[in-house]
Amino acid sequence: MNRTPRLAVAATASTLTLALALTGCGRSDEAGTTTADSADSISEGPASGAVEVWAMGTEGELLPELAEQFEADNPDVTVNVTPVPWESSTEKINTAIATGEVPDVMQVGTTLMSGFVGLDGLAPTPEDIDSDAFFPGAWETTEVDGTSYGVPWYVESRVLYYRTDLAEDAGVEAPEDWAGLTDFAAGLQDAGADNGIALQTRGNSTALMYFPFYWQAGGEILDDAGEFTLDNEAQVKALDYYSSFMRDGLAPPVLVEDEKVQNFIDGKLGSFVSGPWERANLLTTAGDDFADKFGVVPLPADETTASFIGGSNLAVLADAENPDSAWKFVQFATDPAAQVDWFEISSDLPAVQSSWEDPALADDDAVAVYQGVLETARSTPAIPTWSEIEHELDLIIEQTIAGDLTPEEAAAKMQEAATSIGTGLD
Amino acid sequence: MAVSARRRRTGLAAWGFALPFTLLFAVFMLVPVASSLYMAFTDMQGKDLRTPWAVNFVGFDNFAAVLADPKFQQAAGNTLYFVGVAMPLTLGIALLLAVLLNSGLTWFRSVFRVGFYAPVVTSIVAVAVVWRFLLQPDFGLVNSGLGLFGIEGPRWLTDEVWAMPSLIMMATWRNVGYSMVILLAGLQGIPKDLYEASAIDGAGAVRQFRSITVPLLRPTILFCAVITGIGYLQFFEEPFVMTQGGPLGATNSVAYEIFNQFGFGNYGLSAAMSYVLFVAIVILSYLQFRLLRTEK
Repeated sequence: MNRTPRLAVAATASTLTLALALTGCGRSDEAGTTTADSADSISEGPASGAVEVWAMGTEGELLPELAEQFEADNPDVTVNVTPVPWESSTEKINTAIATGEVPDVMQVGTTLMSGFVGLDGLAPTPEDIDSDAFFPGAWETTEVDGTSYGVPWYVESRVLYYRTDLAEDAGVEAPEDWAGLTDFAAGLQDAGADNGIALQTRGNSTALMYFPFYWQAGGEILDDAGEFTLDNEAQVKALDYYSSFMRDGLAPPVLVEDEKVQNFIDGKLGSFVSGPWERANLLTTAGDDFADKFGVVPLPADETTASFIGGSNLAVLADAENPDSAWKFVQFATDPAAQVDWFEISSDLPAVQSSWEDPALADDDAVAVYQGVLETARSTPAIPTWSEIEHELDLIIEQTIAGDLTPEEAAAKMQEAATSIGTGLD
Repeated sequence: MAVSARRRRTGLAAWGFALPFTLLFAVFMLVPVASSLYMAFTDMQGKDLRTPWAVNFVGFDNFAAVLADPKFQQAAGNTLYFVGVAMPLTLGIALLLAVLLNSGLTWFRSVFRVGFYAPVVTSIVAVAVVWRFLLQPDFGLVNSGLGLFGIEGPRWLTDEVWAMPSLIMMATWRNVGYSMVILLAGLQGIPKDLYEASAIDGAGAVRQFRSITVPLLRPTILFCAVITGIGYLQFFEEPFVMTQGGPLGATNSVAYEIFNQFGFGNYGLSAAMSYVLFVAIVILSYLQFRLLRTEK
């Protein structure tokens, strides 16, 4: 391990920041100049040297397989992948950024981007990377205050899983709009399910489950001026609609996540909303035969269609030792062919739109349904305070479902909570 | 003079021996404590991590904000509820078990001692998996068991009223073994002849318990009460792994709220919360010493 250069870099970096602070260039002077210039370009020629990469969860285990190709194309480069558990990733990365002891490339969950940008940890994306190649919702997750700080790597989105056998018994078609979803859930319930649908009712990420409905009703979280617009008709309508399932007994009043999959397999639950990973989960729990018992369709539309887009981006760290080769690695991993390879290695859905034309994806019905969904899928705003705001919104949505707040009160409270926390952008 | 020279030398040697520890103590204890105290009086945020000297001093603003925050108030209320119920419960059951284990019956003593102590050394994550399974509303063992008697069990962890009792149950089960072992050691330290002498004087089991066991066990009980009290005021792991503070904030605790605020990058605010908790711990421990100290 070459610790010395890293320490030297860290020491230089901190001396530099100290010098800046002493000469009165502290953070307060940075206001107004937050739109950092993108790095000009990635240099020509092969990558060289060592590229340190941090990746989380399954990606951390599987990434070396993809990195081998990059190493084969660039003989002078070594890619070292360090797997980091998702649970401790935020703390670990925060510490790394604060001390300057960082990897060159890092996988960043889309909703975590703005937090690390807020710490000045990530380098702006070079112009060479073509933003149009990616799903627009995915590219948006890389942008904080108008500047992009990474490249979409893989995406995921929420869809409706439902029991095809129950739907057939009830004679109901997969829903396309809000009224249709209510009738559909009621139909599945008539056909013998205890609950026609399950929606998240409490805890972390309830807001992420709910927001597609707000977007479908035509709502926006931030307006063009970057101000919160949470207290409006669309919010009231969406909250009322979302909680109507629990209120009318179509969905469990309090969802126990641990029991969801088992209930679905037992036929006690007719449908639920989840991401692409749930398919593998269902087949492992219930066996491969279960594949013909359930179907996957996009979430219904109201004013518009919308789902939540998640996934991960690849970012190069501001303090990276080998930034040029790091960007080359990112460029490689997000190129259409490598994206298809990565899909085959990991089942992660490509963030590059043209990769979806490859037969590996296009011929798989269960995968293809996501393509249309991803075109209109949205992300929560990339602002440094989002995780704190989301935490507040989770609670407000929970209170609305419980009937402690009316949708009108909840909408007002959401606006108040978000405004008082602020966007965290100067 | 020879004496003072030697004394000086001894003094130097003493400092020499104490220096490594003093240095480590200063670097790893005093500096963090002092900086977190300083942090509590500043508006430090996550983005100031790299430039900690650029923060603003805000006086008692953080403390005022913390105390006025309804979420912190709810968390404080929940924590007191938890300590108020779980502490007497834990100590009571631990004392009962210790007395039972101490009363002869040597053959099963070690088996039970291990049995009751096992949860203490088990990882909270493993414990959480088991308890989540036990407390599941539809498939859980507890509700299935209640179902046999025709009772429909509550939705333990997702019901506003039952979530805290569920965690109290779990925490008591997890911590009772620790106090039990300490109390058992205390009981075994009480001379047997005191009991023999009192038996000759005609004292029954209850009288012996009140007049010999409890007074002589007092320092041990005090120790257990203080340790359990401090641990319970820092109530964190159970809501963290089981309920994430829900439903509707019913199991949010002060320590969990501190953790959350740190995660959101509100360092000043969470440091202030930590000191509020610290003061509460000092007060509780002081009260316990006042109530349980052995009279001279």
